[in-house]
Amino acid sequence: MMTFLPLRLRKPAMYSLAGLLFAGAWLAHGGRLWWVSVPALIGTVAIAARLYRLGGTDTDEGARAGSRADERQQLVSMRSRALACNLAAVTSFIGLTAAIALRAPWWWPFLVTLLITGYGYLFGLGSFGVAEEGTPDDADTESPTQFPVGS
Amino acid sequence: MAINEGLGSLRASDADREQAVEALKAAFVHDRLAKNEFEAHVARALTARTYAELATATTGIPAPLNSVKRAGTPSPIAAQRTCWGMSEAELAEALGVSRQTVILIENGQYLPSLPLAFTIARFFGQTVDDFFGYPDEGVS
Repeated sequence: MMTFLPLRLRKPAMYSLAGLLFAGAWLAHGGRLWWVSVPALIGTVAIAARLYRLGGTDTDEGARAGSRADERQQLVSMRSRALACNLAAVTSFIGLTAAIALRAPWWWPFLVTLLITGYGYLFGLGSFGVAEEGTPDDADTESPTQFPVGS
Repeated sequence: MAINEGLGSLRASDADREQAVEALKAAFVHDRLAKNEFEAHVARALTARTYAELATATTGIPAPLNSVKRAGTPSPIAAQRTCWGMSEAELAEALGVSRQTVILIENGQYLPSLPLAFTIARFFGQTVDDFFGYPDEGVS
């Protein structure tokens, strides 16, 4: 996705697209609040410009904003996302529990978030981390495993 | 300066010499050195000009006493980079990582992945063990 764009433009373009969709949603919402789409659009342009500018700096943040992060910077980014996901899951659980206790009608968004983070975690394990069940090294041999003989 | 000379040809500082003397003192206290050996080693350490000469003065001292990484001593990667006359930014560009990552690796604050460790070692014509090897434990 967006691989046709120069590295430095990818993050600003992604944020611009998200901001446009958000502003468009307010416009589609119509009514008296249609004007919210205007500050949303202005904010999007400001964020995209800041990201583009940051992408040209020689810092860790600049490398991430410019989509040229090396392995350490990617690792830091990945840990931060994992932390954010953990917080989202914990917050959702607390919200769901509170909503149930209060018999509130707004319990379901917490449940949806909790399910998404949970299934996302399981999907990640299946995609990245689960090793195939192999046989022990000496299971398919009739003779016992030979170890080097010490002198 | 030839690349293969590595750390050994670099000039040692007063702090390095003091560190070596401290290691010799510890070895003497632990009865690893006789008094005449201790005096001879200390004299050699105090007159050492390079790391190679300093290493000769502390030969036979166990690794825990004679720590490989001393305070104020440049890391092997930083030493090699200096030998090659490269800046951190130039090395970072050659390795395909950021300048900040090079600094953190040199300071020992970030251990690179195996592929990057091999890339660094091959770039300088050395082995991974030269840069990231653990000191031997209890070897006298």
